[in-house]
Amino acid sequence: MPKRQSGNKKGKQSNFAKLSIFQPNKYKFKKTCPLSAKGAPTVDYKNVRLLKKYMSENGKILPSRITNVSQKKQRELSLSIKRARNLALI
Amino acid sequence: MNLYEHTIIARQDTSPSEIKQLTEKYSKIVEKNEGEIVKTENWGLLNLSYLIKKNRKGSYIHFKIKGKGNVIDELEKNEAIDKKLLRYLTVRVKKFDLDANYFTKRDDDDKRESYKN
Repeated sequence: MPKRQSGNKKGKQSNFAKLSIFQPNKYKFKKTCPLSAKGAPTVDYKNVRLLKKYMSENGKILPSRITNVSQKKQRELSLSIKRARNLALI
Repeated sequence: MNLYEHTIIARQDTSPSEIKQLTEKYSKIVEKNEGEIVKTENWGLLNLSYLIKKNRKGSYIHFKIKGKGNVIDELEKNEAIDKKLLRYLTVRVKKFDLDANYFTKRDDDDKRESYKN
């Protein structure tokens, strides 16, 4: 049993590391929510630089299971990404 | 009274004086409807990430407005028929963040990031 568990973990970790072979390994995502921590930046449609971190290269929103963003923050993120898209910022 | 953030995008070929006219025009509409403009920001000519009516660039003007809902109704009614504008967006917020300037500081931030990497 313990062997199996460690195997599972490894699979998950490789999931964190890369979305696809084309994804640049620029940003490593933390295991806890990076937006709920103290001193974290506020999610806002004007903060394009922040929003781009949570989007794929093709402009899609990354799922929270990869970025480890909490449910609440993911909802804020997706809303502000859509607002920024409407303004052609992203 | 509510707080609104209002952004409009003007066509790429509008001159600076025309942009000033636009800001004045819409500021007047706000004041007519008993609204108050807390702040106006001119973000300048930015690259659009996709073509809008064959425009590659757009001049962004950002208002922070305090007022009732009818202000926004009146604004959007006028903006929808304005041929100089490409888009508009209104967002109701609970609090204005008057310190954050995402569009004037952006060059420095990019530099800092590349330095980190």
